[in-house]
Amino acid sequence: MMPRLGLLEWARKRSPWMLHFNSGACNACDVEVVALLAPRYDVERFGVLNNATPRQADILVATGPATRQAAPRLVRTYEQMPEPKFVIAVGTCACSGAPFKTCYNVLCGVDKVVPVDMYVPGCPPKPEAILYGITKLLDLKNGG
Amino acid sequence: MILDTRFFFRVLVFPGFLFLFSFTLFCDWFERKVMARMQNRMGPSYAGPFGILQPFADWVKLLTKEDIVPEGAGGLALAIAPIISFSLLVLSMLYFPLDGANAFSNEGFEGDLLLVLALVTFANFLLFLLGWSSSNPYSGIGAVRIMTQFVGYDIPLTILSLGPAFLAGSLSLSRIASVQKVPFALVIPWVFAFFLLALQAELEEDPFDTPHAETEIAAGYWTELTGRKLAFVRFSEDLQVVFGAVLAADLFLGGPYGPAFELGHGLPIVWFVLKALFIIFMLEFVEAVCARLRIDQVVRTNWKLMVPLSLLSLALVTFCIPFVQSATGGA
Ligand code: SF4
Repeated sequence: MMPRLGLLEWARKRSPWMLHFNSGACNACDVEVVALLAPRYDVERFGVLNNATPRQADILVATGPATRQAAPRLVRTYEQMPEPKFVIAVGTCACSGAPFKTCYNVLCGVDKVVPVDMYVPGCPPKPEAILYGITKLLDLKNGG
Repeated sequence: MILDTRFFFRVLVFPGFLFLFSFTLFCDWFERKVMARMQNRMGPSYAGPFGILQPFADWVKLLTKEDIVPEGAGGLALAIAPIISFSLLVLSMLYFPLDGANAFSNEGFEGDLLLVLALVTFANFLLFLLGWSSSNPYSGIGAVRIMTQFVGYDIPLTILSLGPAFLAGSLSLSRIASVQKVPFALVIPWVFAFFLLALQAELEEDPFDTPHAETEIAAGYWTELTGRKLAFVRFSEDLQVVFGAVLAADLFLGGPYGPAFELGHGLPIVWFVLKALFIIFMLEFVEAVCARLRIDQVVRTNWKLMVPLSLLSLALVTFCIPFVQSATGGA
């Protein structure tokens, strides 16, 4: 488990703290994200902590399409996070805008405004899928 | 000579810095695990065996994150407050007779109980300064709440810690620990109970965690902290919990001395660690079952309930001293 990686990669991989941002989701995705923290899936097993402020987060879990109103706030939240930082788009809306794509107030997926590192499609995706996305992302970014 | 290798070993390795460092990380893991089990979760499980390295992983990760200083924040205070409060807490921990003597390999001095309490107050004042200088309304409110709460609950805590001191007839930490043939927690249980309650408030744990109230003020005075600063502030908080537990174990549970007092000391540090973990378990238990009070309720509880109660219980202790001393054969 540990020896192949350096101490730093190991620490980053074992301690991904997340911040949840809803930029216009229908709330189903948010409930699935919250289910991650609850006893059944308990992401704290993997060291994931939910944080109240972007300053302490490593992963921005974005749900919902980027709406015109929320987009600047999403960007600002992203900019407030310290490097290294990653974004996971959770739900088909966050990936592409899905059913709301053609709405007058929607700018499609969140990747239109912030760089997205991992897409987790589904409407809404299962908590297992989100968890898989998070672990996969950490594996990719921290070399194995 | 005082500056020999033994001195450095005791201060830097055992029972000094290195031991305290690993013990604090272990306690953090223990707290999180207890909390998780109380909530029917697993808690950290994959970083090292049983997730025991989780706090270490968090710490290393935070040390290497980008360090952001918000615009308009007080640069110097923000830069040095975390590290100084951390050092003050480590210094205060060195005065505890962790393995029968303190880290300076002596018996301490008459009054080091008051010294460690003062050091912790300073450390908390620095945390207030930290929140205040980070130019964020949430941090500001969190900082003011720390101050309100801490200044208030420091009074009952100090008064209550005088109870064991009166019984032992001494203000020295090692002497208070060593005279307890019967743990003071059994002799004066009411003081022990109030002490734990005041401690809960000092450590900003539920039901008194208003400075961190996530639902009201983001992360309180931590809101703007990143990287190294956050690593040290988090560590200070954990160290403070350990401090509280060790203080309670020293004053009320006989510190490094085992229950079979007459049979010699055995392994003093093992007793101290077990007692501290027991106290931490009690604190976490209360935290897990309680909801948060509002800040006005916290302050009211302090001045209307805790201060009079602690004074009364101290009066009761003074009244009890002759009986206790005749029962236990003198202190
Ligand atoms: S992906 Fe589906 S569940 Fe998620 S926000 Fe969009 S519509 Fe709602």
